[in-house]
Amino acid sequence: MSRIAVTGVGLVTPIGAGRDEVWEGLLAGRSGFAPVGSFDASRFNAQIGAEVHGFDPAPWVRTLDPGRLGRASQLAIAAARMALEDAELSSFASSRAGVVMGTTSGEPREVERFNDRYLAGEMAGLDAGFMGLYPCHMIAAHVAREVGCGGPVTMIPTACAAGNYAIAHAFGLLRDGKADVMLAGGADAFSRITYAGFSRLGAIAPERCQPFDRHRKGMIPGEGAGVLVLEPLEKARARGARVYAEVAGYGLSCDAHHMTAAHPEADGAVRAMEKALADAGIGAVDVSYISAHGTGTPTNDRLEILAVQRVFGKAAERTPMSSIKSMIGHTMGAASAIEAAVCSLAVATGRIPPTMNLEEPDGDLDYVPKQFREHDVRVAMNNAYAFGGNNASVIFRRAEA
Amino acid sequence: MTARRVVITGSGALAPVADSPAGLHAALCAQQSALKPIEVFPVDGLQPSFAGEIRPFEPRQYLGERNLRPVDRTARLLLVAAQQALESSGWTAERRTQHEIGLVLGTVFCSVRTIAEFDRRAVQLGPSYASPLDFANSVINAAAGQAAIWHDLRGVNSTVAAGEASGLLALAYGTDLIRSGRADALLAGGAEELCYESFVGCLSAGRLGSARPIPFDARRDGFALAEGAAMLLLEDAGSAAARGAPVLAEIRGYGEAFDATAGEDEPSAAAAVARAVRLALEDAAVDPADLDVLSLAANGGLRTDRAEARGVAAALGEEGARKPAAAIKAMLGESLGASGAFQAVSLLGMLTDGVLPGVLGLEKTEDDFPLSGVQAVTRTLDRRPRLGLLHAQAWDGQCVALIVEAR
Repeated sequence: MSRIAVTGVGLVTPIGAGRDEVWEGLLAGRSGFAPVGSFDASRFNAQIGAEVHGFDPAPWVRTLDPGRLGRASQLAIAAARMALEDAELSSFASSRAGVVMGTTSGEPREVERFNDRYLAGEMAGLDAGFMGLYPCHMIAAHVAREVGCGGPVTMIPTACAAGNYAIAHAFGLLRDGKADVMLAGGADAFSRITYAGFSRLGAIAPERCQPFDRHRKGMIPGEGAGVLVLEPLEKARARGARVYAEVAGYGLSCDAHHMTAAHPEADGAVRAMEKALADAGIGAVDVSYISAHGTGTPTNDRLEILAVQRVFGKAAERTPMSSIKSMIGHTMGAASAIEAAVCSLAVATGRIPPTMNLEEPDGDLDYVPKQFREHDVRVAMNNAYAFGGNNASVIFRRAEA
Repeated sequence: MTARRVVITGSGALAPVADSPAGLHAALCAQQSALKPIEVFPVDGLQPSFAGEIRPFEPRQYLGERNLRPVDRTARLLLVAAQQALESSGWTAERRTQHEIGLVLGTVFCSVRTIAEFDRRAVQLGPSYASPLDFANSVINAAAGQAAIWHDLRGVNSTVAAGEASGLLALAYGTDLIRSGRADALLAGGAEELCYESFVGCLSAGRLGSARPIPFDARRDGFALAEGAAMLLLEDAGSAAARGAPVLAEIRGYGEAFDATAGEDEPSAAAAVARAVRLALEDAAVDPADLDVLSLAANGGLRTDRAEARGVAAALGEEGARKPAAAIKAMLGESLGASGAFQAVSLLGMLTDGVLPGVLGLEKTEDDFPLSGVQAVTRTLDRRPRLGLLHAQAWDGQCVALIVEAR
């Protein structure tokens, strides 16, 4: 079975855009939190967010009209264009090229626009664009139209694990020979709907996100996009492409327990990790770095620690595990795609981004507090968990001969 | 390594015309229209004012007395279809405690109604009055998550969206998961509810027809929106045999393609259809001449129906283009994420009794219409069909084709 390489990385995040800016920002512990600017948050019990400020889609959206795209599509296209440039692929216009994207909410701002008009009694004037803007599959379709590809084009809206799902699916399509090259990742736009939901659940931290800290107070909603270029390793090497890492395997599971709360024994998370390890043909001791879901909510982090302890046993304490959500917040469907890029870059550079804002660690795991670390990352595991009990672990590995 | 084969061991369907797979096939063959005046939301002068609404829908009739309050309409539709598929395949609740069953759901909106209502409440009353229950259901994987909880499905769980091709895409995705050994058994199909938001969206985009939709007819002017859910139980052939499961059919292969012009350029759109069909035939190792029946996505859309007909004809060649072909959205309407799954359940009916539903209302196709096997009247085929082609096409460019073989 062919091995699948990561050869391009495209990122748009609350701390910057592009591979280098984001990676340097993460290693430096930059924070992307600021008072919410895209809507009036004064009635909410928190007012902080991780938005992408000053984003201009124009340089990236070249084929389509950026004015006729929702924000998540704009972010996705920008990340996809960056990934293609990074992979030095001049053209993606092939029937053997495809796109798989993940998202939590698609384009929720279009529902907000719909509602604003509805509540103002203007329903008759609903603009004809709703169907071309809102449905979540439009994100993948817009990326595919922008780059002109004709292969498999799929949206996987599995909430906050969606980026990992998308990468896993693209990996499967490539291994099965259903495509020669894929763009895979996730995108979500900041929205009052998402903010209101997490606010109502009491899940939003007042000032900063502190994953794995004893005094953590919650997550911070964010937005962004992460896209990887995936292609068979052999083909990548043949064209002289830079290979960041290879996708070694993945595991998916479902808690079948609760819509918004994880299983109390972290059953689903454990099974996803175990399946991913088995798929990659390695043991937990072989994992050099865990990119945690690490939202910073009391429950998520507690159960995630438990899950890692259950799967890693004694190796748990000596396996570095960090959460970049301490810097860029929870970018929803984009989160695990951005974190997949982080895993790829950690493998490629031997550096692990820190968990910021960590004062008093909860439990005995190694959270890489406050300072990035030089570390030989041969294997990185990317964990993501979602509403609906959807769990996804993807493993990246140095592409050795 | 020999590829694992994927068989269908159960099916479920909840549609405006029937609440079982057999009922669906019978209703389609009797050319019963799903369309009726909309009651599920206030129409308030909207034209058209009809749709394929499931009415009455009493979920308790199927699901018993468990607490349905946290489960919205899309998920309720899914729960019923999933339950039928589980029951008919013999995956009892007891067996499910011992085995991981997966779920792959195709949907366009999951519930845009739930999302919109959540937002309206938060805007009108203030964020502290927003409903946490609704928020849990506002994610697009909510129905799949609810079904996993309800039916204890702990295996692979995913939601896929590709417009009107979502349901077939879910079957293709599920096929991959079984072939690659990531699941031994899973539910795959689609669900979509009828609601104000999606209806107004389709209406203002000019996609709804003024009267009953007539796929492939020269007079067609759009589709009719509908709702429902259909699920198949896909299973590794070896595992199914080992547990003595009933095998309804086998999924021989699938193909996917995308039209980067999203239908704006007809030759490009037809070429994407043709690619998906050719890839499916190749994946299945089936010659087009050996196909017995086609089930197509045509819904009355002006440009989409034409692109589908030309693409399918191009892929199948002269002989293939004469194969008996169904276009069930003439009766059923366009149920978006569910429609491809309805096509699959309907095809299983055709493969069982050899009866092919006619295209209700079809009088005159366009002059150069290439598919002579599309006919207005329901007919019984000369011999029992063995190989069927399913094709679904999204307005926005995705095309998915599957080859199904009868057992």
